[in-house]
Amino acid sequence: MSQAVLLEGQNLTMRFGGLVAMAEVDFSLHRGEVLGIIGPNGAGKSTLLNIITGLYVPSSGEVRLEGEVLNGQPAHRIVAKGIARTFQSSRLFADLSVLDNVIIGRHTHMKTGVFDAIFNRRKADAELDAAAELAERLLKAVSRELYAQRHRPAGELPQADRRRLEIARALASEPKVLLLDEPSSGMDDFDTDALMDDIRAVCAERPELALMIIEHDMRLIAALPQRVLVLDYGQKLAEGTYEEVRLIPRVQEAYLGRKGAQHAQA
Amino acid sequence: MTDSTLPARTTQNMATGLALVALVEIAGAAFLRQFLLVDDWRAVIGLLALFGGALVAMQRLPVIEANIERAFADNRRFAVLLGMAIVLAFPFVLGNSTYALHLLIIAQLYAVLALALNFQLGSANIPNFATGASYGIGAYASALLALNWDVSFWLALPASAVVATIFGFLLGIPSMRTRDSYLALVTIAFGVVVHQLLNNLEFTGGPNGLVGIPAPELFGHSFASPLVIFGHSLPSQANFYYLSALLVGVSILFAGRLHHSRIGLAWNALRADELAARCQGINATWYKVLAFAVDAFLAGFAGTIYAFYVGFISPDNFTFLVSVTIMTMVIAGGMDNTLGVIVGAFLLTLLPEKLRAFSDYRILFFGITVIAFLMIRPQGIFPQRLRRYGG
Repeated sequence: MSQAVLLEGQNLTMRFGGLVAMAEVDFSLHRGEVLGIIGPNGAGKSTLLNIITGLYVPSSGEVRLEGEVLNGQPAHRIVAKGIARTFQSSRLFADLSVLDNVIIGRHTHMKTGVFDAIFNRRKADAELDAAAELAERLLKAVSRELYAQRHRPAGELPQADRRRLEIARALASEPKVLLLDEPSSGMDDFDTDALMDDIRAVCAERPELALMIIEHDMRLIAALPQRVLVLDYGQKLAEGTYEEVRLIPRVQEAYLGRKGAQHAQA
Repeated sequence: MTDSTLPARTTQNMATGLALVALVEIAGAAFLRQFLLVDDWRAVIGLLALFGGALVAMQRLPVIEANIERAFADNRRFAVLLGMAIVLAFPFVLGNSTYALHLLIIAQLYAVLALALNFQLGSANIPNFATGASYGIGAYASALLALNWDVSFWLALPASAVVATIFGFLLGIPSMRTRDSYLALVTIAFGVVVHQLLNNLEFTGGPNGLVGIPAPELFGHSFASPLVIFGHSLPSQANFYYLSALLVGVSILFAGRLHHSRIGLAWNALRADELAARCQGINATWYKVLAFAVDAFLAGFAGTIYAFYVGFISPDNFTFLVSVTIMTMVIAGGMDNTLGVIVGAFLLTLLPEKLRAFSDYRILFFGITVIAFLMIRPQGIFPQRLRRYGG
């Protein structure tokens, strides 16, 4: 990677009472890079995402975006700095329209306060209309089908479209870093392939955008990320390309159990 | 356009749209007039059955509702102008009934309170049981200003709204440490504390309250004297009818503008999923406190008009029960729907009065009617709508 480091974590540790969910994990993410994060259930993958996005404050260690320390800042401010995310169990605003969901993703780029909303209607309307227009363009770019359904409540969408919508909503904030938490969970192979194409298209359109993908689906991990980080019991087990990482015995053990790993090596 | 039938068709569509809007508004006004003036219990039942029937029809045949909605959306300006004309003309068709006018004033004040609470309960799903307390704070603040310092109504109105808003902030900030049922408990406690303070403090007059609040004056015309328009004399209540109607209008305007802005969207996002909302950059604490403040602001206005209208207020006008009633209006009328909330407020204000014919069973019938309407329309009489953009 010749590009500069965009986001980095140093010595990240997260304790919940006596439980250590994450111990001294380092990571770095470069501009335009796709980093995969794998590991068994409970390995600390989602904890890492929650630390980066400000939902958790790490017990020790630092997260830095372009050199600026992020930890301790509330979640809404971290979004404004350029980190957006999706959720493992898609968390859309189910009773709002698809379009509204994406417009809400533009929140940090809008400025209307109470006074403007009530007394300066021209400004408030102009801003909202611009956001709606941009949201429509984004939806169109992510998926034509989704665009066609923009006036439906988000809760009525099928699973695959919900994921797409979550990605569109996250992109609406024009992030520098996009974090995807198990984007393919609950999808069959066909939908996963479509999702991978969508992610590729998103990256092709935004060469500067850095992605961090938590995933269980090894097809996706083999295809998309340039680098893979393996977590187990809250610790960093390995880091490297998929080809390198998959050959490490301890990684195979973590995934397949000791016996399975012996089989795999035999 | 070479198709010559197209303009013809659109004019025809417009004409049906206009006719539909006029029909719905005039029928609604006529229904309200009959309901206000009716005395006989059989007639009350008949009118309620008519209303229930209309709801059943709308529920069974969504086409009717969709057509009405489209007609109103296409002819917004006409709908607003006609609505204003009806509101202005309404006191003239009530046959100088002071009782009907009194009920209308109270219903309109409750409509404002319900719209105020709707910012919280409907838009942002914050169960605030203290709207009655904010209403009381507004009423007492303005009454004290008028009685102790001879402040005129027109100055007391914004001043008391500011006082109520400050208290709204004060309630909102500690409430942010809690959520859901615990948040509801904090607001209930706030309401009880306010009631107890009003009851026990010296300068609020204790349980006797404040008496002799002077009627407002405008250009030398006292609101206590009859209102003469075009040689037609209306009872003095008409002054306050127009005043409260104006406040309802302002509240509707506020509600619509906030709903259709970044703020309304942020509130709706918090209602649907607070964690996801925070991860879109929404400052959850700020937007919730803001909802408390807006609620208190409008409730303060309503309180002032109430205090100057009845001329005497006591702590028992602003009990916990008032807050519960306002909450029922929002839920029964339709969360996050301006029209629904107003219909809910009118219905729940007028029903207990009109069911007096049943004397001892009044409250029972009140409950049955509300439950029956909710069984027909489980999402409230007029449920929330999705936003529309660019016409």
